[in-house]
Amino acid sequence: MSRIETPPAAGSAVRVVGILALGGIAATVWLGLFVTPNAVDYADGTVRLLYIHPPLAWVMYVAYGMATLSSLLYLWPRTRHVRFDQLAGASAEVGVVFTGLTLVTGSIWGRTTWGVWWTWDPLLTTTALLFVLYLGYLALRNVPGDEETVARRSAIAGLIAFLDVPIVFFSVSWWRSLHQPPTVDLASRHLYVHGSMAWTLLLGFVSFTLAYAWLVVHRYRLARLRAREEQEGLETALAERWAEAVK
Amino acid sequence: MSGYIEAGYVVALGTLATYAVSLVTRERAARHRLPPAPVAPQTTSSRAPDANKEAS
Repeated sequence: MSRIETPPAAGSAVRVVGILALGGIAATVWLGLFVTPNAVDYADGTVRLLYIHPPLAWVMYVAYGMATLSSLLYLWPRTRHVRFDQLAGASAEVGVVFTGLTLVTGSIWGRTTWGVWWTWDPLLTTTALLFVLYLGYLALRNVPGDEETVARRSAIAGLIAFLDVPIVFFSVSWWRSLHQPPTVDLASRHLYVHGSMAWTLLLGFVSFTLAYAWLVVHRYRLARLRAREEQEGLETALAERWAEAVK
Repeated sequence: MSGYIEAGYVVALGTLATYAVSLVTRERAARHRLPPAPVAPQTTSSRAPDANKEAS
């Protein structure tokens, strides 16, 4: 078993990312709720959820993408290191938080525009499935076993769970959906909002991505500290057994 | 504005803030439980003699 180093406390770079994320989100909320105009085809200002709902969904994709990349790096023999397994777990947990929030904010938006909290629309259903898949992945990570076995099976489960991500992303194009097409259409490079609304949305994307980075760094450090703690406990127990045997 | 919008913002930002605080708290608690990391032995740098000279 390799020696796990105690990770250093948060450095200035992480603090700067945290401060930028906090400031960016505060500015997004202020611009989104009080400055940007209301869209004519949305009653009662419900379009203002635009500034948090798509950025939350975007971070969900980023988080699961990072978890998958880390899982692949763990499974690849040349790059296999426990750090990639810990990073995959950290990113997936943050992803689950963002998926939950995407579902909740989407549900609120659905209530105000469609009149229902939930409908078995392809996008909503596949996103809910994604949420459950990654909850299962996190549960699997807690199933006892030796470090390598847990890491390997988690990495494989992470790759299987990721199969749902492209289905979620393309579901609005593949099937008839109540949900509108993406506000930022990457394929045709078309933006469905303009002016202050577009800038506020862009700020939301950047701020929530920074918040994701900050959260992942802290969750990853926590995972490393816990691994170190477990190793310390094991070493203490072994030392005690050796001392007993010598007596 | 309907109350739904504000509720959406409160739920999203409140959850993220709670999660962030819980991570920092758990990280600090885990750090306190661990014994302090061994301090690396100090190497003699080229600046050290100069610093001593200034002190004397």
